Amino acid sequence: MTVPIDPSFATSGGEWAVEGAAPPAQPSGGTGFGSMLANQLGKLESVQDEAAKASQALATGQASDPEAVVMAVERAQLSMQLASTLRTKAVEAVNDVFHTQV
Amino acid sequence: MGLFDAFDASGSALSAERLRMDVTAENLANAQSTRTANGQGPYRRKEVVLQEAGSGTQASFADSLQAARGVRVAGIVEDPTPPRRVYDPGHPDADAQGYVTMPNVNTVTEMTDLIGASRAYEANVTAMQTTKAMFARTLDLLK
Repeated sequence: MTVPIDPSFATSGGEWAVEGAAPPAQPSGGTGFGSMLANQLGKLESVQDEAAKASQALATGQASDPEAVVMAVERAQLSMQLASTLRTKAVEAVNDVFHTQV
Repeated sequence: MGLFDAFDASGSALSAERLRMDVTAENLANAQSTRTANGQGPYRRKEVVLQEAGSGTQASFADSLQAARGVRVAGIVEDPTPPRRVYDPGHPDADAQGYVTMPNVNTVTEMTDLIGASRAYEANVTAMQTTKAMFARTLDLLK
């Protein structure tokens, strides 16, 4: 007869605890990796939106400050570059996990 | 400093230099104007006063870098130098002695100001491009 694995056993059992290592901090109030990612992507979207609005204002002749438009577009471009590089890196890491030889 | 602070600093400088260019163009355009918009006296040369942006209460240079946000326009002031007086009795604005009060605009000074503003603009664009290149090089580390 097999005994079902109790998920609380692995983390709470003294047998499994690493000597001297502090337990990992539990995320509180949505400060985990997922919410951080969502937060940053939301910011990225707002920056892109701002750049699109500024470009449209320039194209329709409503922009009085061309420098502000250029700044908005540059900011959007750099933010997008950063986000896409980080995404590529994260996908690479996940693929590495998938290709682990068992 | 944050990610885009150098950008913000360069961007504010671009706007400031463009305003300098605008004011210089205005001076050149009005180099022969013997009347202002409200019809009194000759045009007076305008000049842009620039000021460092931020609160100005930082104790150290590092603190001032933290708060630095480039440059801002403190105001546009009039040049107090006396206007030129030119003898031209046929001019409608000539006084009883036949002298016309011309604006205190020196075209040569305005041309050098124009070159200065243009070169300062270029310098700030270069600073911006360098910031961008540095950022891109940092991202290359992840590739």
